[in-house]
Amino acid sequence: MSSLLKRIEIPIFLTIVCCLLQVVPYYFYWKPLDDFATREAQWMNLIVATATFIGLISLVQVHGANVQKRSKGWYFSVVTLVCAVSFAIIGLPLPEYGLGSLSYWYLFLYNNGQVALSQAQFSLLAFFMTSGVYRAFRARNLESGLVLGAGILTVCYNAPAIVATYPFFADIRGLLNDIPNLALNRAVTIGAALGAIILAVRTLLGIERGYLRGGGD
Amino acid sequence: MFEVSQINLSDGFVAGRMLGLVGLLLIMLASAYFIYMARKGKVPKIRRIAGIDAIDEAIGRAVEMGRPVMCSHGIAGLTEATTGPQTIAGLGVTAYVAKKCVDVSTRLMIPVRQPNVWPIAADIVETAYRMAGKPQEYKSSDIMFLSTDQFGFTSSYIGILMREKPGANIMVGAYWAESMQLATSGARAGCIQIAGTAAVAQIPYFVLASDYCLIGEEIYAASAYVSGEGEQIASLAGQDFGRLIAVGIMLLGALLNTAGIKMIIDLWRW
Repeated sequence: MSSLLKRIEIPIFLTIVCCLLQVVPYYFYWKPLDDFATREAQWMNLIVATATFIGLISLVQVHGANVQKRSKGWYFSVVTLVCAVSFAIIGLPLPEYGLGSLSYWYLFLYNNGQVALSQAQFSLLAFFMTSGVYRAFRARNLESGLVLGAGILTVCYNAPAIVATYPFFADIRGLLNDIPNLALNRAVTIGAALGAIILAVRTLLGIERGYLRGGGD
Repeated sequence: MFEVSQINLSDGFVAGRMLGLVGLLLIMLASAYFIYMARKGKVPKIRRIAGIDAIDEAIGRAVEMGRPVMCSHGIAGLTEATTGPQTIAGLGVTAYVAKKCVDVSTRLMIPVRQPNVWPIAADIVETAYRMAGKPQEYKSSDIMFLSTDQFGFTSSYIGILMREKPGANIMVGAYWAESMQLATSGARAGCIQIAGTAAVAQIPYFVLASDYCLIGEEIYAASAYVSGEGEQIASLAGQDFGRLIAVGIMLLGALLNTAGIKMIIDLWRW
């Protein structure tokens, strides 16, 4: 029995059925089928929600081992574990005990801890982009020279003093943005969409198995 | 003028999606045809993709330097319509990287953002070890769930890059604002970097900060390309057929619209 359940054909069959249940109602409306597809999406959400515990287990596995072995920077792992466990406990849906995701302490920790730290990391993007621009704006060959030219024009457009003095920068930037940039953007988007369709075809035919044990049987 | 939108359809079909359905069926039929031909031994030739060819080189470099390999399948889950396929493509590349790393006995680290993707990534790596006859070398702690928070994941990923100094950093999947931070940090850590995404806004950052970049559709071709299987490679020819349809519709639409004929626009309403 256990060897039967491990057969790769079972997840492939389930994938095909689940894919068709989402694809067919998109083009063809039939209420019972549509209801079933909606129910399937709800099951999917439940499975995804259950997987959160797997994340917590992995987190404890990695950071617990760090603390146990006193690996380099193990005290950061202690902070991670304490934060994870605290959030899990404070977030328990028990409002009668002052817990839950809408409780004072949860919102206090979330707004003053996670949001602040997350925004701090996001704000660093400006510095990463500046250093990236420094590397990009070097005219080593024709292509990078074109990038440099387009970049300078865009920078000039974004400087209000320059646009106020020389309004034609707005027109040039508009020309660059609306024609070559948009055309390339759409080309990549259409190519990516076609690639996704073919990936779906391979998955539906059961020949794309990279996501299933790496294709191994 | 011929008004396609006036054609009566049976009540079951959803209006406005029929042209898409016809296109989808044509592409699927074309793919099925090329796959059928591949089974008969006629596998179409596909162009070399430098970024995918470089994966072996990157792993080899990591081995020479005695450093681990870092491989990420992106930060998206599997359920979203636009980013889910990117994650699947990234997992396909992960499977290939895992096999290569197991072959050369190099440590492979996989950072994970979505808990529901963790079991799949772990299964891929474990299977690679099992198939190579080295199940005892598999460490589930190397498939690391970092955080579901986008920048919590990012800061943790950057921390690992700077502490572990992997020899290769391979990132293929869906990425958002963290793409530049990850790629720049990988470059600072001295990794050879291969990055790819179909998120159009993030491609410039990967081009800028990585050694090799897979652009858009190349990430979907990657798993077929590295598999070396005729059937998978043949399916890519169906993609080219879809491209021909798209270019044809665009040219026809531009010409007809210029001539004042709105047939293509009406077809989209079908």
